[in-house]
Amino acid sequence: MAAAKKLMSVRRDWRERDVRVVLAALIIAVATVATIALFASQLQRTLVSSASSFLAADRQLEAENGRPVPEIWITEAANLGLETGRMVEFSTMVFGSDAFQLVSIKAVSNEYPLRGDLEIQGATEGSREQVQHGPAPGEVWINPRLLRLLDIKIGDSLEVGSQNLTVSGVLLREPDGGFSLSALAPRVMMHVDDVASTGVIQEGSRVEYVYLFAGKETALDTYYQWLEPQLEPSHEWEGVRDGETFSRSLERAESFLLLGGSLAVLLAAVAVAVASRQYALSQRDTVALLKTLGLGSSGIGRLYLKRLSLWGVTGMIGGLLVALPLFWLLTRLLSEALERPVEFQLDSSALTPALLTAVVSLFAFAYPPIRRLRNVPAMRVLRSQPGETGREALPDMLIAIVAVFGLVWLYAGELSLVIALLGGLALLLGALGLLGSLLVAALRKVRGGGHSWRLALVGLYRHRRASLSQIAVFAMTLMLATTLILVRTSLLDDWQAQLPDDAPNHFLINIAPDSIDEVAGYWKERGQPLDQLYPMVRGRLTELNGQPVKEVVSKDQRVGALNRELNLTWMTALPKDNSIVEGNWFEAGQTDGVSVEAELAGKLGLALGDELTFTIGSDKVTETVTSIRTVQWDSMKPNFYMAFPPEGGLTNMPATWITSFYLPKDKKSALNEFSRRFPTVSLLEIDNIIERIQEIVRQVTQAIEAILVLILAAALVVMAAVVSATLQDRQREGALLRTLGGRQRLLVRSTMLEFALLGGFAGILGVAAAEAAVWALQFRMFEGSFKWHWHVVLPIPVISAVVLSLFGRWQLRPVLSVSPMLLLRRLE
Amino acid sequence: MQTTHYDSQRPMLSVENLTHRVSLETDTLTILKGVSLEINRGESVAIVGRSGSGKTTLLGLLAGLDTPTEGTVELDGAIISKLSEDERAQLRAHRVGFVFQSFQLLPALTALENVMLPLELAGMDAPEKRAKELLERVGLGERLAHTPRQLSGGEQQRVAIARAFASEPAIMFADEPTGNLDNRTGQEISDLLMALNQEQGTTLVMVTHDEQLAARCSRQFHIEAGELTEPVAQVELAH
Ligand SMILES: Nc1ncnc2c1ncn2[C@@H]1O[C@H](COP(=O)(O)OP(=O)(O)OP(=O)(O)O)[C@@H](O)[C@H]1O
Ligand SMILES: [Mg+2]
Repeated sequence: MAAAKKLMSVRRDWRERDVRVVLAALIIAVATVATIALFASQLQRTLVSSASSFLAADRQLEAENGRPVPEIWITEAANLGLETGRMVEFSTMVFGSDAFQLVSIKAVSNEYPLRGDLEIQGATEGSREQVQHGPAPGEVWINPRLLRLLDIKIGDSLEVGSQNLTVSGVLLREPDGGFSLSALAPRVMMHVDDVASTGVIQEGSRVEYVYLFAGKETALDTYYQWLEPQLEPSHEWEGVRDGETFSRSLERAESFLLLGGSLAVLLAAVAVAVASRQYALSQRDTVALLKTLGLGSSGIGRLYLKRLSLWGVTGMIGGLLVALPLFWLLTRLLSEALERPVEFQLDSSALTPALLTAVVSLFAFAYPPIRRLRNVPAMRVLRSQPGETGREALPDMLIAIVAVFGLVWLYAGELSLVIALLGGLALLLGALGLLGSLLVAALRKVRGGGHSWRLALVGLYRHRRASLSQIAVFAMTLMLATTLILVRTSLLDDWQAQLPDDAPNHFLINIAPDSIDEVAGYWKERGQPLDQLYPMVRGRLTELNGQPVKEVVSKDQRVGALNRELNLTWMTALPKDNSIVEGNWFEAGQTDGVSVEAELAGKLGLALGDELTFTIGSDKVTETVTSIRTVQWDSMKPNFYMAFPPEGGLTNMPATWITSFYLPKDKKSALNEFSRRFPTVSLLEIDNIIERIQEIVRQVTQAIEAILVLILAAALVVMAAVVSATLQDRQREGALLRTLGGRQRLLVRSTMLEFALLGGFAGILGVAAAEAAVWALQFRMFEGSFKWHWHVVLPIPVISAVVLSLFGRWQLRPVLSVSPMLLLRRLE
Repeated sequence: MQTTHYDSQRPMLSVENLTHRVSLETDTLTILKGVSLEINRGESVAIVGRSGSGKTTLLGLLAGLDTPTEGTVELDGAIISKLSEDERAQLRAHRVGFVFQSFQLLPALTALENVMLPLELAGMDAPEKRAKELLERVGLGERLAHTPRQLSGGEQQRVAIARAFASEPAIMFADEPTGNLDNRTGQEISDLLMALNQEQGTTLVMVTHDEQLAARCSRQFHIEAGELTEPVAQVELAH
């Protein structure tokens, strides 16, 4: 069937504009969704492994009761195929040649770290090296400051308890450096096997046994299920996903990727819908002729179904061919940003949504109009028949919308996203219907004439159906693209605001009340003033409404905050990045009440008016909950679960002060003198951690930009689809106008104006709908962190108007350059 | 009513009391009213009448491209309205050919492929060989690989005629086949159409405004406002 085959071949199809648009839309959709999904899963793996390195493992089990856990717990983990490792953490005095210092010891087993790496310097003048093990037995690695504090150098020995250990390196960075405020003293890392012989751990010493686990997520889950019933309150199971300070940022990045993918799906669907409807219209003559030549309607149906399938396959293959190199490129970028190799790993399950997108958009959007081709009357060969009204397409459209939003749901797994986008679209279409009818009513009054403005308005009126549907599609496209731009902007702004270049990267803890002024003065002199100082009182939450808290709160809720001492504070003003969600902040002069952090309140089931009893040393303090507030945990500033008013429940309790400040790398030497002058003040250096977070943010930002470009490409295809749908009509009209004596300049001006009006109107609607969608989205997906970005969205209608009017001008080219006669013939 | 002059066979086309209405937004429009006629095998018939009188509508109904509101059309022994859509398509594929005023060639296919298409759809053997023969017969042996856009109107109509006769139809319908052509070219196309009709012994039903062409047919039906008026007396042609 050479001729029939040729009629249906994709190669021939490619020459048809509408088919090209369908195929381009499919390819871009598959490519975008596949790239995003592949990259998201790659990013997820990389970030989890980055994040895991913050624990030096995938999970940690901490025993804060000073006793090791039963050996069977470790063997069971090994049986499940998990890697395990062990650490013992405690504080003790160490002695150099003639000085001593309180240090924080971390004794690690051979396996440490299971994730991430350490950075050390093996010789005084040696270079930094990255290693994946701790010191060997008999050796220690120490914080560089300790060298000076104790006046020792690499190769000297350090007395830990009754053992002399050799300082074989300087510890520059440990993966799980963390910034829990318990790490107060300079770090000394040693081998766990040396701990017993030092003799420093006695019955009753404050020791923390920490166990590291790494392996497959499923094995970890199985293990935790086994372990959980045996855990005591003093045991804490920690994963990367909870509690770590930057996990929220990552979740938002993930949400962004999902949003981007979902928008790609929607844009593809719109493009495929528009182009295939146009294609179906253009095929009616062919179908009528084929029927006349003896092809039955089922034959027609099969023919087009086959063709549709061919498109689908082409779209999938083409999309993957685009996606794979792109993904490879993004992975390269990622690896550059991280300055370490990232394994290029194709997660085949990530491809499913991409392929499904092609299938769903083809069958939900392209198939219905093409299926209706079967019903084209053969009589059409003799006389053109009344065309489709578009009304018969309505049920199909509804089904298609359900299908595509189902796809988005499946893809993003976020019902709120689907609802926000659907809501935005519904709003848009509603507004469009209303404005459209107003517009039509207003334009009806305009009469044509020699003026380009009037001609443009008449043009809009004459094409009111086409104009409205064009505005609808443009506005929809602009809405989707704007949504993404808005989300991106606030995401980046957020990160920027959260971790500015001069974000505080050092904490000072344990500042005695009478040395506050001196400490502040020391740093002010060196040009690094301290941030706000907060008092800190350590205490446990022991009773809730008079009942022991361990009885009231079930163990499943596993609230880490209950297991350890909480840092309690008092303050006058609510910190800027906190916000009250329930109740009221302390009034001036108020002395009763306590303000609780929202997440903890949720976990404990606290409500306003509940009575909390804290045990502070040997005292008990009871206060009523008067407000619940959110805290920016990733702000790198001191944050508190519990805040009291000044002169409130914490009056007369032993308080020390805490603060943070920014210290650039080149001024780090100032820390040595500080430690000597204020030996009781503890210093927490988190500059390494902050640097790493900034690095991760940078790489995610790059990925986001890349995806934005992809989406904008998809949006352009949609625009092209819509414009090309009316191209012929407009060219024919232009030619007619010229035949009838219209001056070129008039034609150009009125067409450009008409498109500018179209673009501007669509732009305004699209931006408004995007703001609505983003407003809805922010509550669920992005935790209300959005600000309005009028400077970002305002130019969009203008750009859209300008671009479209240029597009209109460009469309007119053939009309202007060719004689009207020739054009009319060509457009026959 | 016209009766058959041949006893030995059923007529090629027989129409009984054909009425066709279309519903418009406000009322219904009756385009054809009680048309009855018979056309015998091998006859050539012209349908003539003023513009808007219903000629095209009648042709579409006769050819089974559309179904009438009332009345029956029996084409080559089959009652059209009783056939399913696919059976009608089958009938068209094997027994019916068409020539149109606006040629109706598929712009994407070459002349050769346009002619091959119905042969392939009817599942005939060696479509390419047969299509080449026909194009040579209509004088386009040198233009096989050209697409419709590269051909003049007259040449396009030749391709269309080649396509129409390709599957050796029993009956040929033509709607103003020379309507879009100048006089001379129209004359050439008429000659070609009549000649091929003669060679293949096809029944020809043709709508035309061209009096000369109508006169070359063995009979003429005159239609006025959707009704057949008395047929113009049969014209004897000197063969
Ligand atoms: N589907 C339809 N809806 C409305 N009116 C129709 C429809 N089909 C045909 N008509 C009308 O029926 C009348 C007959 O049309 P038809 O095309 O058969 O005329 P015609 O004799 O072929 O004219 P011409 O010589 O100009 O081609 C015309 O007035 C036409 O407008
Ligand atoms: Mg007609």
